[in-house]
Amino acid sequence: MLSLLPRARSFGAAFAAGLAAAATASAAEAIDFNRDIRPILSDACYHCHGPDAAKREAKLRLDEREGLFRTKDDVTVVVPGKPDASELIQRIVSPHEDEVMPPPDAPRQLKPAEKELLKRWIAGGAPWGRHWAFTPPVRPTVPAVPDRAAAARVRNPIDAFVFARLAAEKLAPAPEADAAALLRRVSLDLTGLPPTPEETAAFVADRTPGAYERAVDRLLASPRYGERWAWDWLDLARYADTNGFQGDPERTMWPWRDWVVNALNANMPFDQFTIEQLAGDLLPNATRDQKIASGFHRNNMYNGEGGRIAEETRVENVFDRVETTGTVWLGVTFSCARCHDHKYDPIMQKDYFAMYDIFNQMSETGKLGGGGQVAPILDVSTPEELAAVKTATARVDAAGKAVEAYELKKFPRPEGKPLSESPDALKLPGNLPAVLAKVEPKRRGVDALLEAVPYFRDTAPDPEYAALLQASLDAVRARNNANSRITKVMIMDELPEPRETFILNKGNYEAKTDVKVVGAVPAVFQTAAAGAPAARMNRLGLARWLVSPENPLAARTAVNRAWQAFFGTGFVKTAEDFGVQGEPPSHPGLLDWLATEYVGSGWDTKALHRLIVTSATYRQSSRSNAVLQERDPENRLLARGPRHRLPSWMLRDQALAAAGLLVEQRGGPAVKPYQPPGIWEEATFGKKTYEQDHGEALYRRSLYVFWRRIVGPTSFFDAGSRQVCTVKVARTNTPLHALVTLNDPAYVEAARVLAQRVLGAGGDDRAKLGAAFRFATTRGPRANEAAILQSRLGKLRAQFAADPAAAKALAAAGEAPRPAALDPVEHAAWTALCSLILNLDETLSKE
Amino acid sequence: MTPFQAASAHYTRRQFFGKSALGLGTAALASLLGGNAFGAGLAAGRRAVPGLPSLPHFAPKAKRVIYLFQNGAPSHVDLFDYKPKLREWHGKQIPDELTGGKRFSTMTGNQTARPVLGEITKFAQHGKSGAWVSSFLPRMAEIADDLCFVKSMHTEAVNHAPAITYFLTGSEMAGRPSMGAWLSYGLGNETEELPAFVVMTSRDKEASCGQIFYDFYWGSGFLPTKYQGVAFRGSGDPVLYLSNPAGLSREVRRGLLDDLAHLNEIKREEFADPEIATRIAQYEMAYRMQASVPELTDLSKEPASVLEMYGPDVKRQGTYAYNCLMARRLAERGVRFVQVMHAGWDQHRNLNTQLKIQCDDVDAPSAALIKDLKQRGLLEDTLVIWGGEFGRTPFLQGKIDDVKQWGRDHHPYAFTLCMAGAGVKPGFTYGATDEFGFNAVENRVHVHDFQATVMHLLGIQHEKLTYKFQGRNYRLTDVHGHVVKDILS
Repeated sequence: MLSLLPRARSFGAAFAAGLAAAATASAAEAIDFNRDIRPILSDACYHCHGPDAAKREAKLRLDEREGLFRTKDDVTVVVPGKPDASELIQRIVSPHEDEVMPPPDAPRQLKPAEKELLKRWIAGGAPWGRHWAFTPPVRPTVPAVPDRAAAARVRNPIDAFVFARLAAEKLAPAPEADAAALLRRVSLDLTGLPPTPEETAAFVADRTPGAYERAVDRLLASPRYGERWAWDWLDLARYADTNGFQGDPERTMWPWRDWVVNALNANMPFDQFTIEQLAGDLLPNATRDQKIASGFHRNNMYNGEGGRIAEETRVENVFDRVETTGTVWLGVTFSCARCHDHKYDPIMQKDYFAMYDIFNQMSETGKLGGGGQVAPILDVSTPEELAAVKTATARVDAAGKAVEAYELKKFPRPEGKPLSESPDALKLPGNLPAVLAKVEPKRRGVDALLEAVPYFRDTAPDPEYAALLQASLDAVRARNNANSRITKVMIMDELPEPRETFILNKGNYEAKTDVKVVGAVPAVFQTAAAGAPAARMNRLGLARWLVSPENPLAARTAVNRAWQAFFGTGFVKTAEDFGVQGEPPSHPGLLDWLATEYVGSGWDTKALHRLIVTSATYRQSSRSNAVLQERDPENRLLARGPRHRLPSWMLRDQALAAAGLLVEQRGGPAVKPYQPPGIWEEATFGKKTYEQDHGEALYRRSLYVFWRRIVGPTSFFDAGSRQVCTVKVARTNTPLHALVTLNDPAYVEAARVLAQRVLGAGGDDRAKLGAAFRFATTRGPRANEAAILQSRLGKLRAQFAADPAAAKALAAAGEAPRPAALDPVEHAAWTALCSLILNLDETLSKE
Repeated sequence: MTPFQAASAHYTRRQFFGKSALGLGTAALASLLGGNAFGAGLAAGRRAVPGLPSLPHFAPKAKRVIYLFQNGAPSHVDLFDYKPKLREWHGKQIPDELTGGKRFSTMTGNQTARPVLGEITKFAQHGKSGAWVSSFLPRMAEIADDLCFVKSMHTEAVNHAPAITYFLTGSEMAGRPSMGAWLSYGLGNETEELPAFVVMTSRDKEASCGQIFYDFYWGSGFLPTKYQGVAFRGSGDPVLYLSNPAGLSREVRRGLLDDLAHLNEIKREEFADPEIATRIAQYEMAYRMQASVPELTDLSKEPASVLEMYGPDVKRQGTYAYNCLMARRLAERGVRFVQVMHAGWDQHRNLNTQLKIQCDDVDAPSAALIKDLKQRGLLEDTLVIWGGEFGRTPFLQGKIDDVKQWGRDHHPYAFTLCMAGAGVKPGFTYGATDEFGFNAVENRVHVHDFQATVMHLLGIQHEKLTYKFQGRNYRLTDVHGHVVKDILS
């Protein structure tokens, strides 16, 4: 049973100082093998004495019980109770260079305290245990909270685990957060949007029991819930609207994105959510939606570079699918085992390729065909999309005809002969003879025209011809755009005849070894209870296994990611690695309790989220103090509520909501809001032009913003790259981020329209200031804050009155309409003030 | 006293440093807020951003790097690696023992006729060192005695994106930290007015090639995103969203930021969250960048003679010449790693026209940068690197009688890279290829060896600058790399 161990030493300090802290444990404490000893062995010894058979020295394996306690030639590695008789100790304290371990030139050396700990562990009988994460979670008993004041505040078992731990650390939970702050926190967490001032006022006024729970249920039932939680899933699924790499062609995977939003809103159980995304196509009588769901593993990047070897691309795509699956459902790093047995975790290269075999059975060839929509695909196009292509093609033909007519005059050649027989045309520089002279006008591509237009505009000027070519280029681009908008979802399929899989030497696509493997889960997860493995596991088998009780990690990794979203850090801080080199969980008992609770509830994700946000732990105020900062700077012990800068995509949504600009249309193709000119052009040599949308599309939620994989949306920072699976996003603090929220037109416009909103509502300055402050933070300013803002407002009025042109310019930021009657000076002063309010640390943070 | 200094003196510094019990990252904050009280070890009045306390491992030769990356792979056999044998064998099938079992891109992978293609340029020896340089690169030839040529480079990748990613991140697949990210993580920056890692890109005027600049060429991988390269743009604001919105003056901004800092400080006192202190400092840094970046890009004080060296494009933002001058200005201001990338070297079927155009774009600015650094004494502690991701085939892509469409395919088995400045031997050539320029045969230098050497020049033991991610200690050189000691001065 995994339950909380009594601990006297400071847990916070252990996290702060890592292994060094573990090694300073005082002599009186019990040593836990998994917590205290394995990390030392793993870090210092496994590299040469671990799972990797090829690199193993002296045939000695210390990651398994047999090796650690083995006796060979009268030498025993570890003799329980007898440190002096243990070769392990002899070696680590040896004064001889050729004997001491780790060898003197190894990068990782043992610290004296670590050596002492190893001795004490052996002296204490050398208890051994399997790595916790590879053992199925067993539901722990909910602990009693010794501290009576804290015990009285327990709302659900989460609090019992957290508060019992705090009591052991001689810490007390923080008081509950202010009502308005709490509602803002839970609204942002569950829906990604702040509450309206009316919702806040009603909630603050509601003193009846269950008011908070009712607010939570309202938020969970909102369709915004699926939009908020889809974001995290899209990061992990490396979702984007283009392929990445050269050409970066557009794809239309948005029906898959909408499937995710709908599934989350419908509270689809996580096991079904998993099975449909990994193998929806293989389900009996698979529905259209289930096939779309299987697009999960088509969201990876796709390299269609010229000269690219198709098989290399295909193999890399399979690698990506194996490794993404490993990260999401197993929390284990597979990528090492692509080339060799894992150095630390018991994942062998043959395990890797057994997983590889499962994903190796798709009809994808690695060739690029269909632009960003590479077969197999599901055609879900509409008649409107097809009609748009027809119209755009007619425009290309017409532009081509005009060019053709002009070229007859410009490039003389024998009567009735094509342009390719004009000596002048063939003398053109660069690629023009090949791509222009030899190609019929209406069949010329973007590349050809991009080379021709500047040549005839600047180098050998012929303005009329250049204009015709430009018109042709515009038409071709429009046609390509229309083509790329025909909705086809890339999905998975299975070859009728299975492909044979051989281990690839060092993961090189063309270095097939003669070791044949068939689909299976890694040996470390094959248990006697499950019986002998099936002859060859396929994707559906794998998907079902991943959410079966046989997999110790699916629920743990899912619960950990949820915790990370609410509290900023998971129980396991290394959310991508639960292996022996990952960080041990901060609350192992609670992690396993929640994991078993999740499975027991039928993988009910909304119930899990409800449990977390209704806990007293979550409802704590996020105020810290000097003592807590010293003891637990990262808040791993949870003696206070979470406080973090919001993700950049949520900041944009929040600003739109504060201004009242947000347009809540759900689903459909991606939109293109404001972006500085030239971003796509610079990254693609002018081949891709960003055509900004207008009107409502500017104010859709960030989830729907078009994501070009090689150069992501510029309004977002610290966002997952959407290039590879990301389960943990960064939260950094740089001047470049400040420039976005200060100067990005989306934020300037939000400030300008928020100003309109408060000016339109009337009242005196104080009332308006209060309203603006509430839209951003859900609370009114206090007297000292209001005084600062009021004084600034006076200065701004004077500054803009002195410069009416500047006032007019600022008051006109963005494309949203503005009441003509509004005085530009007053409007500009309030716009600047609203921008300040939107940049308050409190506005930028979940508090 | 600047407004910022006045503001920070007013409340920020006093309050922050009076309360170190809050567990603020005091050192980091000191560097952000700066001031002489914390100014130990700072050069030329600049405030530095500290790196890891354990770095450098030993006294560095180079303090900063300018990497002139030539995307698309310059043809080594036409530019630096003179092989008279190619002329002799021109048009004849290249010996099978060279090409047998070798991997090429699909563009020539299935081509059975592989006639040797003699160099299309004229070679001559230059300087005291007698280095062979092509007539296409006259300015670089003039400074041959400042250059250190490595003629025995080799790699595994045969396609652009993976090969460039390999050079810049140590892995062919995207997602690892790039060299500049590693260095800004490890060494910090010599200035806090500008980012530690700046990237600038350009391409040939004819836009003949399609090589794209992926942001993972300057990504931070699993390192915190603050270490990723800041890509200066080729048009408009060099830094995204640098300019205040129309109608909002610097004076208005100053006032807004003063109050913002004041309000945030009230919040910090109440919530004791050190992130708030960092945020106040970062907003101030943003304000300073709004001044330091325009100052950086203001060329009005550059003497005409200097501008002339870089060639006629030097004043046009987004050109290679402009970027080279900017690289010098960034180096002067203490930026740790400047990555200038120029695309257009991928001559598959237009060698006879495009190579010259490409060389014309790059030759004078590259040479001018080195000369300019030298005349300012900056070359002593600045390492300049010039090179692409692989070489080009000594045999022809295309048909021998279709002269206009001659080309060379990707060639990972041998190519030339050159360096200049801090810690490398000037006027020196290292390594050699066989008589066809096909395989690197003498003193071979792998991508990881090159990376290890660059790290060494910066005072870093490449095995020891590591970062733990997914349970493993990663480093730029993966598990490989040997410092090429013979080229060190």
